[in-house]
Amino acid sequence: MGSSIRTRRGLAATAGIASITLALTACGGGGDNDAAGGDDTGSGEQVTINVSTFNAPGFGAPTADKPGADLWAEYEKDHPNVKIVETVADSSDNARAAFNTAISTGTGAYDIQMADIDWMPSITALADQFVDLAPYAKEAKGDWLDWKTAQGTVDGKQIGLGTDIGPEGICYRSDLFEAAGLPTDRAEVATAFGGDDATWDSFFELGAQYTAATGKAFFDSSAAIFQGMVNQIEESHVAKDGTIIATTNPQVKADYDQVTTAALAGQSAGLKQWTDDWSAGFKTDAFAVSLCPAWLVNNIKGNAGEDFVGWDIADVFPGGGGNWGGSFLVVPEQSKVKEEAAKLAAWITAPEQQAKVFLAASNFPSSPTAQADPDVAAKTDPFLNDAPVGKIFANRAKAVTVVPFKGAQYFDIQTAMADALNRVDVDKSQTPEQSWDQWVNDVKALS
Amino acid sequence: MAATSAHPSTTATPPPARDDAYERKLRARGRRGRLDVKLSPYLYISPFFVLFLITGLFPLGFTAWIATRNWNTLTGDGGVAVCGAVCDSTDPSIFANFQWVFQQSAFWDALRNSFSIFLISTIPQLIVALVLAVILDANLKAKTFWRMGVLLPYVVAPSAAAIIFSQIFSDRMGLVNTALNWIGIGAIPWHASTFWSHIAIATIVNFRWTGYNTLIFLAAMQAIPRDVFEAAVVDGAGRFRQFFSVTIPMLRPTLIFVILTSTIGGLQIFDEPRMFTEGTSGYGGSNNQFLTVSLYLWDLGFNKTTIGQPNMGRSAAVAWLLFLIVVVFAIVNYLLTQRIASSGGKPRTKKKSAKKVSA
Repeated sequence: MGSSIRTRRGLAATAGIASITLALTACGGGGDNDAAGGDDTGSGEQVTINVSTFNAPGFGAPTADKPGADLWAEYEKDHPNVKIVETVADSSDNARAAFNTAISTGTGAYDIQMADIDWMPSITALADQFVDLAPYAKEAKGDWLDWKTAQGTVDGKQIGLGTDIGPEGICYRSDLFEAAGLPTDRAEVATAFGGDDATWDSFFELGAQYTAATGKAFFDSSAAIFQGMVNQIEESHVAKDGTIIATTNPQVKADYDQVTTAALAGQSAGLKQWTDDWSAGFKTDAFAVSLCPAWLVNNIKGNAGEDFVGWDIADVFPGGGGNWGGSFLVVPEQSKVKEEAAKLAAWITAPEQQAKVFLAASNFPSSPTAQADPDVAAKTDPFLNDAPVGKIFANRAKAVTVVPFKGAQYFDIQTAMADALNRVDVDKSQTPEQSWDQWVNDVKALS
Repeated sequence: MAATSAHPSTTATPPPARDDAYERKLRARGRRGRLDVKLSPYLYISPFFVLFLITGLFPLGFTAWIATRNWNTLTGDGGVAVCGAVCDSTDPSIFANFQWVFQQSAFWDALRNSFSIFLISTIPQLIVALVLAVILDANLKAKTFWRMGVLLPYVVAPSAAAIIFSQIFSDRMGLVNTALNWIGIGAIPWHASTFWSHIAIATIVNFRWTGYNTLIFLAAMQAIPRDVFEAAVVDGAGRFRQFFSVTIPMLRPTLIFVILTSTIGGLQIFDEPRMFTEGTSGYGGSNNQFLTVSLYLWDLGFNKTTIGQPNMGRSAAVAWLLFLIVVVFAIVNYLLTQRIASSGGKPRTKKKSAKKVSA
């Protein structure tokens, strides 16, 4: 009897230990990236490639609010052993938090990660954690604008393959312009903004005219306008030698003053970007103008609805050209299928695919070959009143003369700046001076 | 076992040698038996403690280590922490990250918000839960239906609830503001105002947790023996008197549990303010209107990961400060609760007698 009790106890102890082991293995079993093999259907081993993208990348099958060229399916058809799973985050910031965690812990990263230009300083500083994609790109005959290639390259190692660029025009509501007594034809609107000599002064002058005539807001968000301005400064927040110059840079202060002055004069709708209210503003009459990098057309279309009539685009931009955003694809070294992933990344950023993405969605190619594609140049967009978007964005891309330097701290400083502008413009909780001072403190905390 | 050892002489082998060996064997078995009795219980509860060691104690210690270091999320350890420009110091010190945190107005804002949201959510929540539990404890028709109904919001995932409420509290298109505009009161700045943002977030918290606490209270109330109430009724106690003099004192252990867990949960609140943030940056509001300590440490640790910044070290320092605050506050609450609940009589003896009666 005694022994049977002991056996039972022994069993219980074993069970206890087993449960610990189980729990531990359960912990360790997460995040495995199984390249499930065994199927003899395709040539070569079955691989699953997990891709993380954000906003409206235009790669996958089109959905109700996101256009797409359905390229994954095309690739899977040509490569029956490859299965592609794309996870689309709603914004680059949301995708970034997960990506940072994966890179810092060394596990759980997607096989292909779409990376915004603002992430690149961090990524290039950790170049050894990412696959050199140059040989794959060469094989896929990829080509990029020189500055785009430079942004994704460290010491001759090309770790980021460019997807799109964000040359900016100005999107406007022709119906609201008409009601305000302003021109509606896109060539005349471009002239009204100042044509080839458009400056931010002439932009805000037209805004003042609109606001005086209608009593309504002209543009969507101060932070969005500032984003357009800061992308025209070669060294804005961080100098090329790595020192932080944001708070002493006269151009940054001048831009800040100009945009907050206009906002307080009623030109801003006071909406924070990427909020529900901001999205809804594209189909109500909350504002008449939005700076328009090529990829944002996807969002305007998604927010307003495909059938919405009124949005148009003018081939003009204040202060010369401007580029806002545009992304890269990177393949982390920790990926278990990095070779297959690299091939796919090279394929989908090749000129032919970039052209298809622009035709289906509105992400303007970063490849000169794709830009020269006759179909790309001839594209018109029925949503934007049949505007020749292929021609307009090509012009806007040519107008970009400044490639802003974005040093390591740029992203944090710019995020703090958006907060500062939102305090004045959206919350109305601080005066421009108070908010500037708080921003100066925020920047100081970065050292 | 005892029976065989009592008659060692009945076996055939010579007594001294065999006795010796047998004694030793017996003693060994006795030792093993004692060891078994002494050790086994600890072995049985060891899974919890081993797991706690791995998932609780080790991270706690490791976080303390990170908090003293110049640690970046992406690049890892970079030596002893340095405070930098905010305290005009480039000297390495293990307290540098804490000094940096104390210099940040965002941290103090976050602390204020955590306490404020905790208070305006927990206090009304527990009161309402108690009242609901009393009502559910009464003889209602379709009891299970009502009880299930109370728990339903708890089934909704916190982030789902937060998303739904974020839309309800949206500044321009939100349900509440649309209704207020329609009545003619005018819209409330749910995100821009510190006070109103706290009210909104407390509402989301209460929506989810009131039912949960109600059920815990209800379960405890049902365990109170009915004869105690009967005795109170015989003594002429009305409904209110019964509630304050019988129910509340008898609920003391449950009250302590619920208040402690609410304190810990309330001070660590994260999901709701995270989801309440509109847009994709500026978590907790552009002026830190509803930035909580947990949200602050997450933002610092996982979003502000710029290389060269000791962001993880600073985030770990915030985490440790939060831990200390929660511990202190939990102790204070525990002492307070004990005092409040025991002032109504002598719950200890009552409870004992009650147990005897029910047994």
